Amino acid sequence: MRLSKSPLVSVCLLALALASSVGTPAAAADVVVTDAGGRVVRIADATRILAIGGDVTEIVYALGAGARVVGVDTTSQFPPQALKEKKSVGYMRALSSEGVISVDATLILASERSGPPEVVKTLKATSVPYVEIPDQHSAAGIAAKVRLIARAVGTEAEGERVVAQVEADFKLLAERTARIKKPLRALFVLAVQNGRAVVGGQATSADAILRLAGAENVAAAVNGFRPLPDEALVELAPEAVITMRRSSGSDAHDTTQLLALKGLASTPAAANKRIVTMDGLYLLGFGPRAPAAARELMGQLYPDLAGGDAGATR
Amino acid sequence: MTAAVTMGGPGHHAARMGSAGQLMAVAALALALAAFLSLSIGSTGITLSALPRVIGSLASGHGDAATAREQLVLIDIRLPRLLLGAFVGAALAVAGAMMQGMFRNPLADPGLIGVSSGAALAAVATIALGNSLAAPWTRAFGVYALPVSAFCGGFAATAALVLLVARQGQLATSTLLLAGIALGAFATALTGLIAFASDDRELRDLTLWMLGSLSGASWPKVLAVAPFALIVAFVLPSLTRALNGLLLGEAEAFHLGVDVERVKRLIALTTAAAVGAAVAVAGVVGFVGIVVPHLVRIIAGPDHRVVLPMSALLGAALVLGADVVARMALRPAELPLGVVMAIVGAPIFLHMVVRRGMGGS
Amino acid sequence: MLEARHVSVTAGGNFLLKGVGVAARPGRIVALIGPNGAGKSTLLRVLSGELMPTHGGALLDGRPLAAFSAAELARRRAVVPQASALAFPFTVLEVAMLGITVPGLSPTTSAARAAGIEALAAVGLSALADRLYVHLSGGERQRTHIARALCQIAASAVRADQTRCLLLDEPTSNLDLAHQGLVLEAVRRQASGGTAVLAVMHDLNLAAALADELVLLVGGEIKASGPPRQVLRDGLLSAAYGCPVSPNRTPGGDRPFVLPPAVFFAQPAPAIRLVADAPDPLPAATTA
Repeated sequence: MRLSKSPLVSVCLLALALASSVGTPAAAADVVVTDAGGRVVRIADATRILAIGGDVTEIVYALGAGARVVGVDTTSQFPPQALKEKKSVGYMRALSSEGVISVDATLILASERSGPPEVVKTLKATSVPYVEIPDQHSAAGIAAKVRLIARAVGTEAEGERVVAQVEADFKLLAERTARIKKPLRALFVLAVQNGRAVVGGQATSADAILRLAGAENVAAAVNGFRPLPDEALVELAPEAVITMRRSSGSDAHDTTQLLALKGLASTPAAANKRIVTMDGLYLLGFGPRAPAAARELMGQLYPDLAGGDAGATR
Repeated sequence: MTAAVTMGGPGHHAARMGSAGQLMAVAALALALAAFLSLSIGSTGITLSALPRVIGSLASGHGDAATAREQLVLIDIRLPRLLLGAFVGAALAVAGAMMQGMFRNPLADPGLIGVSSGAALAAVATIALGNSLAAPWTRAFGVYALPVSAFCGGFAATAALVLLVARQGQLATSTLLLAGIALGAFATALTGLIAFASDDRELRDLTLWMLGSLSGASWPKVLAVAPFALIVAFVLPSLTRALNGLLLGEAEAFHLGVDVERVKRLIALTTAAAVGAAVAVAGVVGFVGIVVPHLVRIIAGPDHRVVLPMSALLGAALVLGADVVARMALRPAELPLGVVMAIVGAPIFLHMVVRRGMGGS
Repeated sequence: MLEARHVSVTAGGNFLLKGVGVAARPGRIVALIGPNGAGKSTLLRVLSGELMPTHGGALLDGRPLAAFSAAELARRRAVVPQASALAFPFTVLEVAMLGITVPGLSPTTSAARAAGIEALAAVGLSALADRLYVHLSGGERQRTHIARALCQIAASAVRADQTRCLLLDEPTSNLDLAHQGLVLEAVRRQASGGTAVLAVMHDLNLAAALADELVLLVGGEIKASGPPRQVLRDGLLSAAYGCPVSPNRTPGGDRPFVLPPAVFFAQPAPAIRLVADAPDPLPAATTA
C-alpha cells in the first residue's frame, strides 16, 4: 500500500476525488441551479436542508419545506419554531466549517451575506451542494430569491404561488402609495449606541422599506447604517421615526430611550409622538412578508390612507 | 508524569519544578495531548479512529461518501486548524517572551510596541476596502491578500519604529516603548477610521475578525505562514544568550558580548514576523504572549534557552486547548477564540498586575 | 594594556571628561577616585567600550576599542556595574553563570557550573547560590555581580600577549567590613593572576588599601595620579573635595588613611589648625 505522507498530496487527491464526482453523469432527478455567485450547482437530494439567513429560512418554510430543514442560523427568527426545533449553526457571518458539516445536510441554502469568506470557500468545495441566495431589496429581488430556493428544494409550483402572492401584495402596496400626495419625511433608527442613533442610510434594507412604504428617507445622504450625532438628527428633522423591536423589552421602553436622545427630542416626530416600532426581520428581512411589512408600516405612517386592512396579510 | 516533577524548596529558594529537560518533556507532552484533542474532537463527532480509513482511501485514490466526509473533516478542516492553532500559540508566546526580555518587563507584549496594531490595521484595511480601494491588491494576492497585508503591517510598524528611534543612533528602550505606544495608538485610530468608512457588512466582518478565530483555517493559510514559522524558528536559538544578557540591562548585555543594537533590531523584526503571521491567520488573540511566558518562568526560571522553546510548546498547547473549547462550547456554532482566551487570560494577567503592584520586586 | 588617550566627553556643551589619559596594566590595580560628578563612571564607561568619547580614544593592547566587536571585547574584559535591577526570577548562581554566556566561549554545562560555584565562593555567596536574586540585599546583589565578572574573567580567552581586564564601578559601596575585605582580596587575586584591574572607588581608604595607583579626577580632569601616598595629600584632597581633608598614616606602616571631615569638626581647635598650616601646591597631572 502506498501511503501519502504529505498533507499537500492529500489535498490534491481530495480535489481529484471532488472533480471526478462532479464529472459523473447526473441522475434523472438531479436539479441544476445557477446561484447568486454564478456557480452552477447540481442538487441530487433536497431532503436535509440547512438554511442560513433569516429570509432564506422564511422562504423555505413558506414553500412548505420546513419539515426538511435540519439546521438554521441565529438570524432565522421566523417562523419562531425554526430556531427552537432545528440545530443552530450560529451567526450567519461567523460560521464554522465543521459545525456546518456536522448537521449532515444534503443541501445548503445560504444567503450571500454568509461568512466568514474562508469558511464559505471551504463549504463550496465540499460534495454537499451549496447554493448562494441573492439578497436584493426589491420586489424583483424577492421573486428571484423565492424562485431560486423553490427550484433548489423542488417545489417550483409552490414557488410560483408564493411569487404571485408577493407580486399581488406589491401591486396592492403600489396602489396605496400612489394615493400619497406628499411623502412623509421618515428616519429609520437601527439602535442607540453610546447615546448616538444608528440610522439607516442609502443602499440599506431600511431605506428600501421606507421607500416601499411611501416615505422619504431623510437619511438618504448617509451611506449604510451609521451612528449620527445629535446635531445631525436635529438637521434631518424627521416627521416620523421607525425603529426595530427587540426580543426583550417593551415598545414603550424603546420609545422612551429614543426620545431621550437630545437630537430627536426637538424633531417633529417627537412632537407628534410618531415613533413606529416593528419586528426587525419582518421589516428588513425582505422575505415574502416584505410587502405586508411595508403596507403595515405605511398604515402606521399614513393612518388616514391605509383603510382597515393594514398589516392584515402576513 | 507528576512523579518526575519535584518541587523546589519553599520561601526564598527558587521554585524550579524540575530540570529543564524534564520540564520540556512535560510541555511537549501537553502539546501532544492538546494536538490529539484538537484532531479528535469536533462537532461532527468524527474521531481519530477514522484516520486509517482516510489514509487508506487517500492511498487508493477512492473511497465511499462517508470516508470522503471523514477525510474532509480530518484532513482539510481539523489538520490545518491544528497546525495554524499551534503556530499562532507558539508565535504569540515566543513574541511575548522576546518583548519581555528586550524591555526587561514581564508585562510587556507585542501589542505594546504597536506590532499587533500595525498588523491589525493592515488586515482591517484589507477586509474593509477589499472590494473598493484595495481591490487591485486583493485581486493580485487572492486568498493571500489578508496574510500578506498583516505581515506588511507588522513589519511596517516595526520598521517605522526602528527608523524613528534609530535616528538618534541608538535604540533606547524607553524611547522605543513610548514611540511604540504612540504608533499603536495611531494605528488603532486609523483602524477606527476605516471601520467608520466601511459598510454594514464589512463592519460586522471586522468586529468578528477582531475577536480572533481559527475557523477560517485552510491549507493555503498553512502554506502562507510556513515560511514565517521557519524564519522565526531559525532565528530564535541565536537570540537566547543575548536575551539573557539583556535581562540584566543593556550595558550589562554589552559587557557580556551582546551586540545590543543589532540584537534589538533582530528581536523587533522576528516579533513582527511572528505576530504579523499570527494576526493574519487568526485575527486578534490576546493574552497568550503575556500569560504563557509568565507561567514558564514560574515553573522553569527565566533562562531564555528554556523560556523560548517551552513558551512555544505551551503557547501552542494553550491555543489548541482554547480552540477545542471555542468550537465545542456552542456546537455546531462557534465561540470566537479571542473570547475564550480572554476569559482564561484576563484573570491571570490581573493577578500578575496586582501581585506586582503589592510590592513584588 | 587598557588605556584612555586624551579622552574628552561632552554632553550638552559641558565637558564630562577633558583630555584624560589613564592606563591599566596587567597585574596592576588602578583606582579612580574623586568627588561625585567628577567623571569617574564616565571614564569607566569609555574604557569598557560602552561609550564613544567625543575626542581621543580608548585602546586595548594598542587597538581602538571601537574596532573590537562586542563579543571580542567580552572575551577579554569583564565589567561590574554599580547597580543592576533585575525583574526576572534568576537564582544567584544563574546570574553568576551569565558571565560565561559570552559568544565564543562555550564551556560545558558542568564546567560553567563549577566556575559559577567557585566565583560565588570567592565573594562569600556559596550559601545563597539557589536563592532568587530579587530576594537579595543590596550588598548581596553587588557581590553576585562581582561573581559574574569573576566567572567571565575565569572563562576569558586571551593569548599570552593580550591583556585581560576587570573594570569595577564602586564594588564595595554596599558591603560590610568583612565582605569589603573578601571582595578586595578577590580583586587582588585577579591582579596577581595577571589581570589589569581598574576600579572606581568612593572610599579613599579602601582605594588606598587596594590600588597600586590612584587617579584623582576632579571636574572631568585628572588632578593627580600615582601611588596612594603621593595622591592622598592634604592640599590635593581638600581642593578636590572642597572641604578640609587630612590624610594620616597607619602607625608603623606607610598606608595613608583619611577620616571623614565630620570627625575633625567634632574635635574643635587643633584639627582646624592642622588643616590651615598645610598648603600644598597642586602637582601637574601625570599621564601615562
